[in-house]
Amino acid sequence: MSAAEPPILQAKGLTKRFAGLVSVDHVDFSLARNEILGLIGPNGAGKTTLVNMISGTLRPSEGELAFKGERIDTLPSYRRAHLGIARTFQVMKPFPGLSTLDNVAVGAMFGTGGGEKSRAKAREKAREWLEFTGLGNRLEASADSLGGPDRKRLEFAKALAMEPELLLLDEVMAGLTAVEVDQVVELIKKIRDQGVTILVIEHVIKAIRSLSDRVLVLHHGEAIAEGDPATVLENPQVVEAYLGKRRA
Amino acid sequence: MLLVQILVNGVLLGGLYGLMGLGMALVWGVLNVVNLAHGALIMLGGYLTYYLFTGLGIDPFVALPIAALGMFVIGYCLQRFILNLIVRSAMLNTLLITFGLSVVITYLAQLLFSADFRTINPTYSGANFAVAGITIPVVSLAAFVIAFVLAGAVWWLLNEMTIGRAIRATAQNLTAARLYGVDPRNIYALTFGIGAALAGVAGGLFGILTHLTPYVGATLTAKSFVIAIIGGLSNPFKVILGGIVIGVAEQLASLYLGPTYIDVISFGLLVVVLVVRPARSLRAA
Amino acid sequence: MIRLAIILVGAAILACLPFFTGAVFMQFAINALILAVLTQSWNIIGGFTGYVSFGNSTFYGLGIYGTAVAMVKFSLPFAVGLGCGAVLAVLAALLIGIPILRLRGPYFAIATLGLAAATGALVSTIDLAGANTGLVLPLVRADTMFYELALGLLLVCTLTVLWIATSRFGAGLVAIREDEDAAATMGVNTTAYKVIALMMSAFFTAIAGGIYAYWISFIDPSSAFDPTLNVRMVIMAVFGGPGTVLGPLAGSFILSAVYEVLSSWISTAAALLFGIVIVLAVIFTPRGIADVLVGVRRHGWRYLTRNIRENRL
Ligand SMILES: Nc1ncnc2c1ncn2[C@@H]1O[C@H](COP(=O)(O)OP(=O)(O)OP(=O)(O)O)[C@@H](O)[C@H]1O
Ligand SMILES: [Mg+2]
Repeated sequence: MSAAEPPILQAKGLTKRFAGLVSVDHVDFSLARNEILGLIGPNGAGKTTLVNMISGTLRPSEGELAFKGERIDTLPSYRRAHLGIARTFQVMKPFPGLSTLDNVAVGAMFGTGGGEKSRAKAREKAREWLEFTGLGNRLEASADSLGGPDRKRLEFAKALAMEPELLLLDEVMAGLTAVEVDQVVELIKKIRDQGVTILVIEHVIKAIRSLSDRVLVLHHGEAIAEGDPATVLENPQVVEAYLGKRRA
Repeated sequence: MLLVQILVNGVLLGGLYGLMGLGMALVWGVLNVVNLAHGALIMLGGYLTYYLFTGLGIDPFVALPIAALGMFVIGYCLQRFILNLIVRSAMLNTLLITFGLSVVITYLAQLLFSADFRTINPTYSGANFAVAGITIPVVSLAAFVIAFVLAGAVWWLLNEMTIGRAIRATAQNLTAARLYGVDPRNIYALTFGIGAALAGVAGGLFGILTHLTPYVGATLTAKSFVIAIIGGLSNPFKVILGGIVIGVAEQLASLYLGPTYIDVISFGLLVVVLVVRPARSLRAA
Repeated sequence: MIRLAIILVGAAILACLPFFTGAVFMQFAINALILAVLTQSWNIIGGFTGYVSFGNSTFYGLGIYGTAVAMVKFSLPFAVGLGCGAVLAVLAALLIGIPILRLRGPYFAIATLGLAAATGALVSTIDLAGANTGLVLPLVRADTMFYELALGLLLVCTLTVLWIATSRFGAGLVAIREDEDAAATMGVNTTAYKVIALMMSAFFTAIAGGIYAYWISFIDPSSAFDPTLNVRMVIMAVFGGPGTVLGPLAGSFILSAVYEVLSSWISTAAALLFGIVIVLAVIFTPRGIADVLVGVRRHGWRYLTRNIRENRL
């Protein structure tokens, strides 16, 4: 890889306003290939909104967004998915009436590069991703019959099946037990080892510490700190904005 | 002058339209049920008033509250014993079952009342007076006033009365409503009953102003729907306003373009409103 | 592939029927076949994509009028007329679909309902289309031909739906139905898929309209754009099982037969009983009879009360 390679993702002055409220305020950041960036911040800081703008669910009110050097901020979501951007939803969005296998097959059929054109092959891939995420024994279960942790796994598998270059994970560990959190951390590391760049939103600080190469902190929509996890998590401003509040 | 007369006619007629939309909007906003039987309930209320008048000799305007009460009971039972069984299933199913009910009501009406045209025709039905050269039919004016009074009553009920607050709580969140100790089954039935009572009054007025047949329900459902959409689901007075918009638009269309364009106009308006206005803002009840 | 076998065998048996039955039955059968095509076409947009269209009667009316105007006013052959009607309807689906498919849930449903009413009213003002009085088509007495035509159309339409049910395209439609936002972020071009689904639905609906127009040989705006016909499509599809291949066929055949029997048995109360059948069906089998077959096998007859327990307040 040459040094001149543009970052996988670059945001400049990214802003989102909702009727009066500025939920993301001129945020700049970039993601290098194969990096894991932890995105943290208190509730309502604008993390999900930021991810929504990257995946195309929301249009930015202002600012630029480039994926591998090309502007993507006016592309519809499905085009961004074809380019190699996948995400999970904090409020999970399974296809409730479909089996887990069919859920994940949609990712394989429509993901990066337009996906796998053959439905049978897509289902084969979907089966592998379900095994990878630990749902190999629930292939035929309908999505709305899954319990909480399994739903998280399903959300994960759907995004992975798209075989993305950039994966955006919005609180995939919320509500999991300590053991399950460790499993997911291992899972994310394995995915990174396959060459995927990852943005992780997480409130579980322990996981952020062990996963992230770099951490970005949002507070009231503004980026208030950025850098390696150890330094950022000790930053007094961050502690006050985020950790202090949590401990209180 | 003709234009002013047409506008006045449209506004007066619009009050009645608004009253039709009111029951629709209430049920939709609270129960999230698009009631395709609403027009059939209006029709039924019309016949009730008609028989109270012709059968028992009760003055139509005195008969209106009685018809409303009757319709309330019918609506309450429909919701309590039939619709409550399926309210949690897909929207398509609520559309279908209310359509099925509208068919049942329509053809029951045909069996019971025959398919003949009926008009509620009290001695004063032709009475009118003139203001600055504009003719104002007394009955239309009365209908208009009643529509506003009832919109006020609904507003008062929802905002000032305990039961109204329970209704609004139920509309927002079923589980929360249970925590407040209200039985949503009862609240749903009450709301549907009130919707039916409003339909009943609208039907009585409709029978006085025009004529009734068992088949008039489908058109009235569509009209009520358009009005509920244009007026929104949150404020009763806005629903009446929505009715007035449609009433005026129809009168203008039939004056300038011919009566065939009446439907084009009201539905054209509907489509424009829907496409221009973000759907989210509609259900704010 | 069981479904393919059922479809082909069923079609073969139905194709032989005219040689064993009388004229009265033919009348019923042609009507039933046309309704089945309409139901199956509706299934593409309503059942698979989850957009409850009440605008399919617009496409039906355009198919009827496209065919009739081409044949009566321009003396074109029937086949060309069918093509005109289909092109008209598919274009309408494209133009209407782009703005209207942005609406969701009941808003979409009602906007389409409005369109059907408005189109009907508009057509009744066009002189070329016979305005209010309608058009009279050349009369042909060839019930067997119309029967086989309608059956052929139903076969093609059903095979198309079978393809949808097993293809990547269909998986995209179903994803849209289940969660449109998730589908879009997973790479489904939702706008294009929805519009194409509506156009396919419009195509078959319009051809059915063309066949109907020539068969019935007299058309007018109120019967061509009758919104209750659209409600029938929805009911039949939902009764049978929307989003399945065979459900809508079963639903439309069963309900057509029930209605026929009811109206010959007690003509005055037929519609009334029909209404009661709909109400009971929604209460006891809210996911269609296709689901009943599966559910009863799994849960026995308690399946029926189970539905109530699941959906009541
Ligand atoms: N669609 C929307 N319309 C209006 N306001 C919105 C919308 N989406 C988000 N907001 C507001 O923007 C702000 C940021 O919300 P966001 O969901 O991005 O926070 P978050 O950092 O993801 O919080 P959490 O940790 O709770 O998930 C909040 O105040 C929220 O109310
Ligand atoms: Mg969030």
